[in-house]
Amino acid sequence: MSLIKQLWLAIIALLLLSFIGSLAISITTSRFYIEQEIRIKNEDNANALALSMSQLDKDIVTQELLIAAQFDTGYYREIVLRDTGGEVLVERLASDYRGDVPEWFRGLVDFDIPPGTATVQDGWQQFGTLTLQSHYSFAYASLWRSVIELAGWFLLAALASLAVAAVLVSSIKRPLARVVAQARDISRRRFTTIQEPSTRELRDVTQAMNALSDSVRQMLTQESQKLDELRRDLQHDRLTGALDRNAFMARLSALLEGDDARATGALAMVRVQALAALNDRLGHDAVDTLLVELVNRLDSLDGDAQTALVGRLNGSDFILALPRQTDLDALHAHLRQTLADIALKDVRLPAALTAYSPQDERSALMATLDTALAEAEAAHATANVVIRERERPALFTTHAAWRSALELAILQGPDLGRYPVLNAYQRVIHFESPARLELDTQWQSAGVFIPWLARFGLEPALDMAVIKRALEQLRAEPEVRLGVNLSLAAIMDAQFTNELRALLEKSPALAARLCFDLPASQDPRAIASLRAFCSALRHLECAFGLEHVGAEFTRLADLQDIGLAYLKVDASLVRGIHASLEQQTLLRGMTTLCHSLGILVIAEGVVDQQELTQLYRIGVDGATGPGVRLS
Amino acid sequence: MPNGSLVSRSMVSRRALLGAFGLLSLGAGLGLLSFPASAFDPERLRQRMAMLYGQGRLDVLEAWFALLERLAGHDVQTQLREVNDFFNRHIRWVDDIVTWGEEDFWATPLEAMGKGQGDCEDYSIAKYVTLKQLGVPGERLRMIYVRARLGRSQVTQAHMVLGYYATPDAEPQILDNIAPSISPASQRTDLDPLFSFNSEGLWAGGSSQSRADPLARLSRWRGVLERMQSQGFL
Repeated sequence: MSLIKQLWLAIIALLLLSFIGSLAISITTSRFYIEQEIRIKNEDNANALALSMSQLDKDIVTQELLIAAQFDTGYYREIVLRDTGGEVLVERLASDYRGDVPEWFRGLVDFDIPPGTATVQDGWQQFGTLTLQSHYSFAYASLWRSVIELAGWFLLAALASLAVAAVLVSSIKRPLARVVAQARDISRRRFTTIQEPSTRELRDVTQAMNALSDSVRQMLTQESQKLDELRRDLQHDRLTGALDRNAFMARLSALLEGDDARATGALAMVRVQALAALNDRLGHDAVDTLLVELVNRLDSLDGDAQTALVGRLNGSDFILALPRQTDLDALHAHLRQTLADIALKDVRLPAALTAYSPQDERSALMATLDTALAEAEAAHATANVVIRERERPALFTTHAAWRSALELAILQGPDLGRYPVLNAYQRVIHFESPARLELDTQWQSAGVFIPWLARFGLEPALDMAVIKRALEQLRAEPEVRLGVNLSLAAIMDAQFTNELRALLEKSPALAARLCFDLPASQDPRAIASLRAFCSALRHLECAFGLEHVGAEFTRLADLQDIGLAYLKVDASLVRGIHASLEQQTLLRGMTTLCHSLGILVIAEGVVDQQELTQLYRIGVDGATGPGVRLS
Repeated sequence: MPNGSLVSRSMVSRRALLGAFGLLSLGAGLGLLSFPASAFDPERLRQRMAMLYGQGRLDVLEAWFALLERLAGHDVQTQLREVNDFFNRHIRWVDDIVTWGEEDFWATPLEAMGKGQGDCEDYSIAKYVTLKQLGVPGERLRMIYVRARLGRSQVTQAHMVLGYYATPDAEPQILDNIAPSISPASQRTDLDPLFSFNSEGLWAGGSSQSRADPLARLSRWRGVLERMQSQGFL
C-alpha cells in the first residue's frame, strides 16, 4: 500500500475513532445523568404525592383525584396506588412512547430507572404503596438532539480537518513523487537533478541523488571534451581549426549521398593567393592571424544555423560547405563583402561559388570549383567571386509554383523510405524512414525539397504527415520499429509538440515502436527545445535519439538526462575507420561513454563490409548506410 | 540481533502496560468502575470506632456485638424489647446542635454509640439497623415522623419513632426514646403520626447496594445509609 494511502487511512481512522469515542462518552454520561435525574424525580414526586395523600381523607375518590391531578401534568408514564395486600386501588398508565426519536436509538440508550415508591399513611397504619414512573420521551428527545448536534459539529470539524489533511498530504505527496521519479530516472541511467523539497528526509535523499547526478554530469563533460579534443586532432587543421582535406571530403561525400535535407546546399572555395610571398613579406605571424580570421569569418557565414563546414584543402585553399543554402546570389554578395573586409593591402582572396544537390559527384563539383577559381584568380579585383551555376533541370521556376506543389504533396501524403539499422547479429534495431514527396509526378528525396519547405515554414507540416504515415505502417506491421527524422523547426514549435502528443496518446501501443531521430545541435536554445519536447512525450515510451553526432558529442552531458535511447555517429567519423587507429580510439571512447549511460551507439554512412566488421569489433551497437543491407 | 528484539519487545510490553494503566485510571476517573465493599464487617467497625472515638468507646461496640449474638434466633418481641432497651440505656438524649454543631444531623449507630449521645432520629436509626441485622424483615420496620406533645402541656415537638408492623396493615408497635417501653400505637395518644418511610425502594432491585451517585448524599436518609455502608454496617 502506498505511503499516501496509509496516511489517509490513518487520518480517517483517527477521525472516526475520535467521533465514535466522543459520541459514546457523550451518550454514556448524558444517559447516566438523565437516569439519575429521573430517579431522583421519581422518588421525590412519589414522596411528595404520598405525603399529600397521607394528610387527606382516605376515600378512594379523593385519592384518585390527587393521583389524576398529578398524572395529568403529562410527565408520567404510570402512577399506581396499591393497598397493603398488593391489590391495585388506583392506576394511571400512559402510552409507551411519544415523539420522533428513532427506535434503534431508544433501543441503544434503553433507560433503566427504578420507579419511585412511597407509603401512604392512614394514621398509624399503612394505607397503601404509591409507585410512580416518569415518562422517558423527554429524556430520549433531549439525548437524541444532543447526539444530532454533536454529529453535526463533528461533520463540520471532520470536513475542516480533512481539508487541512489534504493540504498536508499533498505537500508531502508532490515532492515525494518528484523524488521517486528522480530515483527511477537514475535507475534507468538518466542522471537528472531536481529542486530540493522542504521535507527534511526527502531533502537528504534528493541531495544525495543530485550530488550523484552532478558528479556524473561532470564526468561526462570531462570525458566528452577529451574525446572531442581527440576528434579535433584527428580531423582539424591545427592552426585554423578548419577540417583537414580528408575529413572535409568524407563529410561532403556523406552529405551528397545522404537522403536528407543536407543534400542540397552551396559550396565555396577561397584561395589565399601567393601565400609563400605573403609569408616573406608580412611574416608568419601576421599571415597566420589572417588565415584564422578567414576561417572564422567563413564559419559564421550562415549565421545561427551553425551547419557550415570549413575545410583547408592545402596551404592556401579553403573550402566552405553550406548545407540547405540555395540562394546563391545572396550568398555571393555576403561572401564578397566578407572577403573584402578581411583582405589586407596587397592580399588577394579570389573565390568560387557553386551549388550542390543530391547525387552530385564530388569530383565533378571539385572540378567545377577549381576552374571557377582559376577564372577568379585571373581577374584583378581584390576579392573576386565567380559563381558557377550548374546546369540542372529545375523542378519549378517560381516560388508560388514550389509552394503549391509542396502543399499538395504534403496533403497527398509522403512516402517513407526504409533503411535498416542492423546490430552485429544482423537483427534490425529499427528502420530509418526518410520522407519522400511526389513533386511533378516524381518521388523526390528530402534533399530536393527541404530547403524550399524550410523557406515556406512547412517543415512541421511535413513532419506531422510523416509521423501519421509511419503510424499507419506500424499498425499494418506489428513487429516493425520505425525511426523518423524531426526538424529543429518542428521541435521548437510548441503547437507541433502538443498536436503530436495528442496524436500519439490515441495509440500508445504504436507510439512505443516509434523512434525519433532528433537533429544534434550545439545551440543552447535548440537544446532547451529538445529537452522540452522529450519531457512532453516521455510518458509515451517512444525512443529518442540524436543523429549526425560529431562535434555535438560534447553536449552529451546536457542531453543524457532527457532519456536518449541511441546516438547516431556522423558518417565523417565512421568513414574509413578500419584504416585509422585514431578514429577507432575516438569511436571506442564514445561507445564506452554512451554504454555507461545505457545509450546505444549507431554508426551512420557505413559503405562496406570492412568498416562494418571494424565497427562491431569496437563495440558499436548498430550500423546503417549504403553498405548495410538485410541479407 | 537477539538483544535488539528483546529490548523492543520489552519496550512494547511496557508501553502496553502504560496504556492499560492509563485506560484504567481514566475509567476510574470517569466513574465507570467502582469498588464496592459492603457487608456487615465487625473488624471494620472496630477500627473505625477506635480511630474516630478512641479505644474507650470500643466497650459499647463490644456490648452491641454481644447483644446481636445473644439475640440471634430469639423471637421478634424479645429482640424488639432488648434492642429498644439497649439504645435507650446507652445513648443519652442531647440536641444535635450540642452533639454535632448542626441543626439536624442524622448519625449512624457507630457515631451515636461513639458519642454516647444523640436525638430522636439517631435512636430510631440505630434500632432500625440493629433489628435488620438481627433478621427482622425491612418492610416491617418504618421510621415515622410524629408530632409529640410533651407531658401534659400543649407544647408540641417534631419527633421520630420506629414502628414495627407485624403485617402491612397491622397496628404498629412503637419503639421510642421518650417512653422507655414498647407500646402499641393506639396507646400513644401523645403522638400524632404524619408520614413514614424505610429503606425499601431506595436501593435498586432488592440489593443492599445503593447506586453510586453523588446526589444521594444530599438526602439525609440516604446520606446516613451511605455512611453506614462505608463504616461496615451494611
